[in-house]
Amino acid sequence: MNRVSSIILLLTTLYIFGCNLEQEIKIELPDYEGRPAVECYLEPGQPFTLLLTKSASYFDPFPSFNTNDFLDAILENDAEVIITHNGTSYKLKNTLVFNPFTGKVFNYYAPDLVPKDYEHDFELKIVTPAGKTIEARTRILPTISIDSVVAEFPEKSSKLIDTLARVLTYLSDPPGQTNFFRRVVNDERLESIPDQDFVTDDTFINNNKLIFGTGYDYAKGDTVFNTIYHIEKAYFEFLESLFRARTSNGNPFVQPSPIISNVKGSANAIGIFTFLSYDRKFTVIR
Amino acid sequence: MKQALLLSIMLSLRFSSFSQPYIISGTVTDSSNGETLIGATVAVAALNIGTLTNEYGFYSIGLSIQDSILLEFSYVGFQTVQRIIYLTDNLKLNVALDRGIELEEVVIKASSFQEKMQSTEMSVEEINTRQTKAIPVILGESDVLKVIQLKPGIPSGSEGTTGLFVRGGGSDQNLIVLDEATVYNANHLFGFFSTFNTDAVKDLKLYKGGFPAQYGGRLSSVIDVKLKEGNNQEFSGSGGLGLIASRLTLEGPIQQGESSFIISGRRTYVDLFTKAVNRANQNKKDFNPIPDYYFYDLNTKINFTLGEKDRLYLSGYFGRDVFGFEGDFFDFNFDWGNATGTVRWNHVFNPTLFANTTFTYSDYQYNIVNDLTGFSFRLGSDIKDANLKVDFYYVPNPRHTIRFGGNITHHQFTVGRLKAGSDDGSISFSSGQNFTGIEMGTYLSDDFDISNKLKLSSGLRFSGFTNHGKTYLNLEPRLSARYIINPELSFKASYARMYQYLHLVANSGVTLPTDIWYPSTDRVKPQRSDQLALGLSYLLKKSYLVTFETYYKNLKNQIEFVDGAELFANDALENEFAIGRGDAYGLEIGIEKEEGKLTGWIGYTLALVVRGAFKPLDESANFAQQGYFSPIYDRRHDLSVVLLYDISKRLSASATFVYGSGDLRWLPIGRFVFQDVYGSKFEAVVPVYEDRNNYRLPPYHRLDLGLIWRFYPKWGESDLTFNVINVYDRRNTFFIYFEPKFESKQDITGNDIEIPKRIVAKQVSLFPILPSVTWNFKF
Repeated sequence: MNRVSSIILLLTTLYIFGCNLEQEIKIELPDYEGRPAVECYLEPGQPFTLLLTKSASYFDPFPSFNTNDFLDAILENDAEVIITHNGTSYKLKNTLVFNPFTGKVFNYYAPDLVPKDYEHDFELKIVTPAGKTIEARTRILPTISIDSVVAEFPEKSSKLIDTLARVLTYLSDPPGQTNFFRRVVNDERLESIPDQDFVTDDTFINNNKLIFGTGYDYAKGDTVFNTIYHIEKAYFEFLESLFRARTSNGNPFVQPSPIISNVKGSANAIGIFTFLSYDRKFTVIR
Repeated sequence: MKQALLLSIMLSLRFSSFSQPYIISGTVTDSSNGETLIGATVAVAALNIGTLTNEYGFYSIGLSIQDSILLEFSYVGFQTVQRIIYLTDNLKLNVALDRGIELEEVVIKASSFQEKMQSTEMSVEEINTRQTKAIPVILGESDVLKVIQLKPGIPSGSEGTTGLFVRGGGSDQNLIVLDEATVYNANHLFGFFSTFNTDAVKDLKLYKGGFPAQYGGRLSSVIDVKLKEGNNQEFSGSGGLGLIASRLTLEGPIQQGESSFIISGRRTYVDLFTKAVNRANQNKKDFNPIPDYYFYDLNTKINFTLGEKDRLYLSGYFGRDVFGFEGDFFDFNFDWGNATGTVRWNHVFNPTLFANTTFTYSDYQYNIVNDLTGFSFRLGSDIKDANLKVDFYYVPNPRHTIRFGGNITHHQFTVGRLKAGSDDGSISFSSGQNFTGIEMGTYLSDDFDISNKLKLSSGLRFSGFTNHGKTYLNLEPRLSARYIINPELSFKASYARMYQYLHLVANSGVTLPTDIWYPSTDRVKPQRSDQLALGLSYLLKKSYLVTFETYYKNLKNQIEFVDGAELFANDALENEFAIGRGDAYGLEIGIEKEEGKLTGWIGYTLALVVRGAFKPLDESANFAQQGYFSPIYDRRHDLSVVLLYDISKRLSASATFVYGSGDLRWLPIGRFVFQDVYGSKFEAVVPVYEDRNNYRLPPYHRLDLGLIWRFYPKWGESDLTFNVINVYDRRNTFFIYFEPKFESKQDITGNDIEIPKRIVAKQVSLFPILPSVTWNFKF
């Protein structure tokens, strides 16, 4: 039986691959006019930074990885960028800034520190070199602290490997409002590709407690970084739309999504103008 | 329009007062098994008077003469019966027709071209069992819904699926009834097979326009499937062994000539092989188990003759798809399916008045259960209907056939029932919505022979729906007319307004079992359509029926989903809806040949459908699409050629060729770089989607061949059915995906990074050339 079933499996596999049901094709898409793309995250106590790039036609060749060519091809420079808060305007200079700690690059920068203010809006206004405008508005929300992080090993009786633990993260959901969160889990270092990165609202709360869990993936000695961002609805929708746009690629069962941005104006830009309000804990599995 | 309709009904009633001295009525059946014949012709040729048996096999014809007459009973594939009658009183005459010699048992149902020319019915397609069994199908599983897709005006959904997009309507706009009970999901295996077991089906009729007043509740089509009643003459059976499924049908008399039963089952058995493969490899380290999947159907029906005037039918259907997948850390089970039950009572009050009273129950549900270690997750939805319906069929004189009746349906919806939590109870959450709704409809219609040339069918349906205190009441006028220009040419026209109170929440072009039915509420208004159709029927050389039909359909209160709609476990689902309108236009041409060694049809459709003016119900939601756009099933050209050839008594061959413009897909048009925040992943390619359905796939075409080789052993009959699907191995597109190609580089810190070089598009096809063989038997 063993041999017969292996032969059936082999024949089926050979048939599927032999039939070559997948092939590369050439697609002619409608003409596309590039749009500015904005990424601006206000973090209290940090300088104002903004990344302004431009989108390209989907099948356009990628620029070569010569640094200058690459940046020239994707960055939208020479725009006028001003962020206004509570009557004070901060003009962001068009200069390339590299943060060696985070590894992030921005092309607009102001050395002033973002004030920690939950009462007043921050307003963004960009005028592109072509004279088109990009406008957006946000207001910082307070951080929601992580109550506790617990590492759990499976019971001895279970089928699981008992040397691997899961990590549960607990936090209290402020009542009386709909809260949105971004949850990120990194293993060993923050520069790693996250084990988990998703957004959620507080629909599924349990006695005002939100609980996030991982799989039984972590060994003794591992360091797990838990970050919980308290985000606004616009950022939640933006990240959700980004996720859907990426994951609907070719999936006949999923409806794609345009990017849902909170930037408006005549430049027809895409992107997000928001804040970073987060609590982060690292846990060494013991 | 309303005035014209009222005038027509008044005229009808005035003419109906003509008295008729004698009425002949009864049923027409198949002599071999007692099955009633739907649409059999009963005619007095000398007087140019005739009628058809209704959907219950009943006829009634009035004659005003007192003399000998020659009455003819005919039905395609059966030998015509002639009776000479001298009328002195009303007469009850039940007639059993013998099967024709040439076509043997294969013809179950077909309407003659003359009947089609004479009828006011237009935009109707019928499928008989012979066609269904002879037309080549994927993996040899004959399927009435796939055959109906080959008719003009009924493009299919994705390759190989049974989704129907009739005259620009959505897949949720088809009312599918099985023995009068609504079937909410007529698909197995994500639409690759329908729930209808061909062995148990007696008749399928699809209305794509000119809807009779007795039907309501969906905008675009009515698919009326009737099950066989069971052989009341002798015990018999039939079945088949195919590559993926087997089926068995048993039928016979309970009391000979009076009552009968039929029971029919079907099950796939791929899971038996996959289980064996999984068992054999369970100890191999890198082996990934194959999920278990199977589906099954069970149809049953019993009928009793309770006396000269009464007949009782009990029928039921139960079907399930079951998908299971077990691993070290989880146990995932997903099942879905329909259950329907029908109790039907036919009563003949007198030779002119016939009544059908039906109680039906239907239940469609899906359940997903995932037990993880220490955590479980349960998700489900269901819709349950209880429906009471009464239909009267009244023939006051040969010029009028009046139908009236009504129905009331209690709907019970459970939408997105979710329950999840940890085993120790520390985590627990749930969501879901429950609705109940009452849907009703009453109708009156009259088929009126104004003259030998002109016939008018007028009707009015009054429908309503109530849910949580919100009530909708609507009038649905129906009108159709036929004018015979000459014996070979008739002109037809029809108008129908339809309302639909239930909406399918589905966010892809593929029918999924997790699609949710959602009722009209105070914010979600009923969908509405108005369809106008004009047609010509031309009888060419008495052998070919050529039909032309053109239509315009206007659709209101159509639903699309807002950008980024979240349909999972959402207790405010309506906030994800955008409401708009649509227009569909089309021209359908059909050439059909029903008799002789070579039969078949050619159908061509030129169509256009657009939707637009969508506004989100939730004003804060996004719907970026501006202006009008075409849905994915907007197929400009659609051609089907179906040929069936009886080579000999033992051999028959078939060929099917289809060609269609490619469907539309919503593809990304741009891309941008997303850096994201510290601790998250840099995305070099984020696709930008703009206008919906902006790319047309390459044209779809395919040639399928079939051969039936019959045997006549002592115990009965059997055949081997050989099919070859996609004979010339065309790679039709099932879906397209994009794959960025990367190259490795070092960044300024010396770390290796992957840099995108280009994006390639890849097409995935579903079916290569695909041979199959099925063994069928009958005893």
